[in-house]
Amino acid sequence: MAEFSPGLEGVVAAETAVSEVDGAGGRLIYRGGYLIEDIVPVAGYEEAAYLLWHGELPAESELAALRRQMSNARSLNKSGRGALVALDQQTNAMDVLRTVVSAQGASKTLNKPTLDEAIALTAVFPTIVGAAHRRRQGKDVVEPRADLGHAANLLWMMSGEEPKSDQVHWLDSYLVLLADHGLNASTFAARVVASTGSDLTSCVVGAIAALKGPAHGGATFAARTMLDKIGTAENAERWLTEAHARHERFSGFGHRVYRTYDPRAKILREMAKTASPELYKTAARTEEVALKILHDAHPDRPNATNVDFWASVVLTGAGIPKELFTSIFATSRVSGWTAHVLESLSDLRLIRPASRWTGPEPGRKPAQLAKR
Amino acid sequence: MSNYIPGLEGIIAAQTRISMVDGENGRLVYHGYVIADLAEEMSFEEVAHLLWHGRLPTRAELDALTLELAGSRALTPAATATLEALPTDTDPMDVLRSVVSVQGVEHRLEKPTVALAIHLTASFPTILAAFHRRQQGQPAIKPRADLGHAANYLYMMNGKESSPEIVRALNTYLVLLADHGMNASTFTARVIASTDSDLASCVVGAIGALKGPAHGGAPSAVIEQLEQIGTAENAERWMREARTRKVKFMGFGHRVYRVYDPRAKILKAMCERMNPKFYALATKVEEVALRILHEEHPERPQSTNVEFYSAGVLQAIGLPKQYFTPTFAVSRAAGWTAHVLEQVANNRIIRPQSEYIGPEPRKPVPLAERG
Repeated sequence: MAEFSPGLEGVVAAETAVSEVDGAGGRLIYRGGYLIEDIVPVAGYEEAAYLLWHGELPAESELAALRRQMSNARSLNKSGRGALVALDQQTNAMDVLRTVVSAQGASKTLNKPTLDEAIALTAVFPTIVGAAHRRRQGKDVVEPRADLGHAANLLWMMSGEEPKSDQVHWLDSYLVLLADHGLNASTFAARVVASTGSDLTSCVVGAIAALKGPAHGGATFAARTMLDKIGTAENAERWLTEAHARHERFSGFGHRVYRTYDPRAKILREMAKTASPELYKTAARTEEVALKILHDAHPDRPNATNVDFWASVVLTGAGIPKELFTSIFATSRVSGWTAHVLESLSDLRLIRPASRWTGPEPGRKPAQLAKR
Repeated sequence: MSNYIPGLEGIIAAQTRISMVDGENGRLVYHGYVIADLAEEMSFEEVAHLLWHGRLPTRAELDALTLELAGSRALTPAATATLEALPTDTDPMDVLRSVVSVQGVEHRLEKPTVALAIHLTASFPTILAAFHRRQQGQPAIKPRADLGHAANYLYMMNGKESSPEIVRALNTYLVLLADHGMNASTFTARVIASTDSDLASCVVGAIGALKGPAHGGAPSAVIEQLEQIGTAENAERWMREARTRKVKFMGFGHRVYRVYDPRAKILKAMCERMNPKFYALATKVEEVALRILHEEHPERPQSTNVEFYSAGVLQAIGLPKQYFTPTFAVSRAAGWTAHVLEQVANNRIIRPQSEYIGPEPRKPVPLAERG
């Protein structure tokens, strides 16, 4: 009889060339065999997305074509716009994303996922996130600008102001870093949906739904919230010691896969110094104390800082309010989700695991209603 | 060596008390009761209570649940506005996915509860009926609190009450399809739940999975294939010829059952009573299909699946083809939400591994040097 592995830990559910998380070596490898730390200095988000979709970095003309295709696909269609304005202005950005992506992709016939659709979906995420942000503030939605890159246009649609080049750089780097990460829960959700022969929109909507969970995409928000509570570097030791005594989990620490420092966290930590110097001080001290407390409590466990911790500091520097962190994560990961779905099409097989029955012995007879 | 398990076949992804698919013996069990003992005896509401609470309701509990479901049927203004924003030729599954997403918006992230499960399950018929009416250019019909889940669905679709026989048939269909172990949509819902996401997210994800033709999206295809075959006399010739073109026979084969699907057996008997014309053609097509499939793969257990005779029952009920898969969702909503509640009660994030099959690590070439 097969064993039950809770959380499917250690079970290999897919073969993929899109990315590889080497937990023991602390390496994240993107499609084509590139280490994440080699990609970030040379490629912006559009290039990284191209890489995940095609398996190679684009030449200049290919990149220009992709940029053009993406900037032409930034507007919402009638259904997407209709769903957006139907929602209460205060709606959480992830619920806005889940709904508007679903409506934007609503169609008459069932279509097999294509690269063009993946590009269009990826292109429209900043429009939705920007609109959700503006509506929450009671402001008018800002129209996308075709002359701006993906990250810059996102900041533009949030603020309606010319984005600063530093902020564009930090946000763009974040988007590259988070674009894919093996078979995480949302990517796996997308692949399960794809395995039924469903359409790309359904796959992406399912992935958004999974990313919304605090144990997955919500962790960046939680990390920032914890830093807000800690407030200052001086306060870190007292706050963390007390929180630990109350058995509270420290947000931003620990990961199922990495056994060493997450390579993305390393890059973001460095970036955080200039992106958000004040918050960096609090975060650096928090990290130092948290790792010590965790190590003292569980010397056997590899308790390293995860990507969410330092992402929360860098995104703050890029001018992103924490309420949008999860949706910005989605804005990055959508290229990975769609790359995984497209990859899975070449050998599509219904993902239908088994379950173990722990209920009563089958065959008992139901009592009549009057006798219950 | 690869440890990759295609389709996670045979891998146990969850422990559950909700339903068991006993593929060897052709049994489907809900909380210990075999499906044949529930199908024509219980209302959908009773079975939903069974799935959510683990036991059949008392009279008082059933009355309370019936009232709560009936009281949750109205759509929120945002959900109605979203429904009205979608073009009338939209696939009703896409409508359901989008409008449930709005109907389920919560002001703060809440842990899934039975109350939320009732709220979402109650909204499915309202969404589908309202959209169907819009497609017909007619105004939506307000739900009626004095009708049960099945009866009210048909009432809102058609604008008039259906006969007791038709209501009973739809009720049986809804009971039969309400849960089925770790199928792809239920598994999707549990994967989403495992991240501590909200119930609407789980259900929306499940709708997206059910849409796929390899899962819930095939019953209308059964009808279309039967229409192409046309007559019982034509079956053998058409099907042999279709096979040379690698055409798949719709409504056959299942990952789990090794014998006749117990739901298909019940639905087949219903077809014989309710839809004799369909039954005459379908039984002939079934016979030929099973024979051809057996000739091709004598080693494979190829049996008729639930979708084959579902099509005939749903057609007899008078539902348009486009609404077959969405009606499957009306039923399965109870099972999805029950599984989510079970998952969150004893949760661990579902995060399997993948095996990397790409190139060995290498250095990227700067943009100017590519091409």
